[in-house]
Parts: sequence; structure tokens; C-alpha cells
Amino acid sequence: MSAYPSGTAAAAGLACCHVCSKLSPATLHECPLCGSALHLRTGNSLQRTMALVFTAIVLYIPANVLPIMTTTQLGTPEDSTILGGVVLLIHHEAYPIAAVIFIASVMVPSGKLIAICWLCWSVARGHDRSYEQRTKLYRATEFVGKWSMTDVFVVAILVALIQLGGLLQINAGPAAIAFGGVVIVTMLAAESFDPRLIWDRLEEVDD
Amino acid sequence: MNRMRTACHECDLLITIEDLVEGGRASCPRCGHVIATNSPDGMTRSLAWALSAVLLLVASNLFPFLSLKASGLEQVMTLPGSAWALYEDGYWTVALLVMGPIVGIPSLILAAVIAILIPLRQGRRASHLIPAARLTFFLNPWSMVEVFVIGVLVSLVKIGAMATVVLGISFWSYVAFALCFIAMFANLDPMILWRRIEAVQS
Repeated sequence: MSAYPSGTAAAAGLACCHVCSKLSPATLHECPLCGSALHLRTGNSLQRTMALVFTAIVLYIPANVLPIMTTTQLGTPEDSTILGGVVLLIHHEAYPIAAVIFIASVMVPSGKLIAICWLCWSVARGHDRSYEQRTKLYRATEFVGKWSMTDVFVVAILVALIQLGGLLQINAGPAAIAFGGVVIVTMLAAESFDPRLIWDRLEEVDD
Repeated sequence: MNRMRTACHECDLLITIEDLVEGGRASCPRCGHVIATNSPDGMTRSLAWALSAVLLLVASNLFPFLSLKASGLEQVMTLPGSAWALYEDGYWTVALLVMGPIVGIPSLILAAVIAILIPLRQGRRASHLIPAARLTFFLNPWSMVEVFVIGVLVSLVKIGAMATVVLGISFWSYVAFALCFIAMFANLDPMILWRRIEAVQS
């Protein structure tokens, strides 16, 4: 029996180019149409993904502890963190916006990290039969990634717009860099996870 | 699109697409991943959206984006000015992190898509087709035009409590640009585009 489930391109000795979708014999190293590197599965997908996940977790700490922006009103500077901003919005009774920021900056990045960890773990363990659900979870993590940038954009707009000298001024804080880093690194992690690994255990488990 | 064989990108199942009619969509029978969507007149429409997006993106960078009125003071913000404010604050990384996904990367994508579609619609071969198509789909996940529009709306509510905000011409042209940009990709299916390139190049 081949190492790959029957019916797949890999079992037939074919590799599908991840860029242009052309099928080629797996013995080639380069796609004959577009020149991208050809491989049956993304090399070291789990290791690479987990390395990026750990990077994101490390960056997530300064992103939440350090201030994302500083508001100076009549000469008194006040730092605000991501969570502090959400609490302030709730105080101002701006609930829908508080929800947007909370979902985009807190729930999405942390949920994504948990989801990717679980996908890697379930693939490494290899007993999980929920192929379709896990593929859907992977699609969700891929889709949702860029929406976390909302808060960084909000800071950029506030910094550019609110420069009224001594009266009211907003400056960016170091957490903006760390949080932007979290978003980029989690997007790279989702990209390096190869969803075909979920389906590669199809026959082993069913035997 | 004629009969062709490919494999699902998400579960690697071998698939034969018999004949994808205009307006039709092919999905993987096992995992449901969309293999190709054949939108009617996709290339022509995509090119039209791309050209409109170029004009709107240029306009978005020329005029005031938002302006603020508080206690008799007025502050005008433009898109390049927003990057400049972050840069002057010492946050050039944040400036890049913002301007890259909302202006830089979309501009590169628009240039590449227009450079592909003009010769391809006439059935002409050109040496830049393949690198330009690779660049387009490599950069696509990193363009965040729609996220930025939501970010602007969130900021409006945040500032609204402190001061009066006036929406400028560039704000409206950026919203229109974001819609054109999304419509351009909705009509540009990677699978179909690559098969057209393959047919022209061989």
C-alpha cells in the first residue's frame, strides 16, 4: 500500500503545483509551467507551523502588556493597552465598537493560535476522524487572519488625525509593532500548515 | 474551460473537471474546497474593475481623507500624511505595516493584473505573464483594503465622542476602490487564469 490514501494525486505519483494547479510527475522538482518548487506535501509543515505559533505567543505578551497608544489631553499623557481600550469603549457605552475591537484584537488572534495548535497536534497524533470539520477549521483560520489588523489601522488613523498640539494629541505605542507582528506571524503559520496532512491518514484509520 | 485534470489543494484528491460552463463552479467532492469559479466574461470584467480601482486609488492619495474639528482647530488627514505621522513618531515599522497592505501591495497587484489581462484577452503571449501571475496570487493574502475600511469606521466612532469628523473625498474614493478591488478578484479565478496562460504560452 502506498503511504498516501488511494485517489489522491500523491498516491498516483503526481504533485499538484500549489501556485498554478498544474499536475506534474512528483519526480520533477520544479513546476514546468510556472517554475514554482514542486513537492507532494509542504516540507516540515508541522515543525514550521509550530515554530511560528511559538513566535506569535512570545510577541503576544508585549502586544497586550505595553501601551498601543498614548493620549495626551491638556498635557497629561495617558497610556492605553488593547484590553484597556476595549474597557474604555464599554464605559462610553460604545458596545458594537467594543465588540469589533474585542473580536478582532483578542478573540481572533488567540482563537487562531489555539486552533492551529490543535490542528498540528491532531495531525501528529493521527487518530482523529473529523476530516471535514478540521478542514473547515483550517479554512476559518486562514480567512480570519487579516481582520486582526483592524486595531493597528485604528491606531494609525488616530495618530494621523488627532494632532491638536497641547489640547489633544495621540501617539502610537510599542504594542502596535508587537501586535502587527502577531498578525503577520499567525498568517504565516496558517499558510505553512498543509491541510492535506489532515486527509493523509484516511485509510490507516478506517482499516 | 475544457476538460482537465487537477488535484484538490486542500485534500489532494485527483479531480477531473469535465466542462465548466460560464457561471459554473467546481468544488472538491470530498472536502468541498472550491477548485474553480467560471464567472461570465471574467477577464473582461476583472480588467474593467482593475482599471477603475487604479483611478480611485490615485484619487484616494491626493485629497483629504478625514478632517477633524474641535475647539476652533481643524486638522486634515491624508493617506500619505497618515504614514508620515507614524514615521515622525519614530514608528516607521508601523507606517510600513499600514501603508503596505492598504496602498503598496494593492498597487503592485493592480499593475500585475492589468499587465496580465491586456495581452491575455487578445490571446498574445508575453514573457511577463507567468511572473506577474505568480506575484498577484503571492501578494493577494497580504492586501487588506477591506480591513482598512472597517478600521476607518471604528476610528470614526472612537473620535466621534471627542470631536466632529468630516469625511473627505479620499475616504469615499477609498471605499469605492476597496469595492472595485474585491470585485476584480471575484472575477479573476486563479485556476482559469493559469489555464489561459498555459494555453497562450504553449
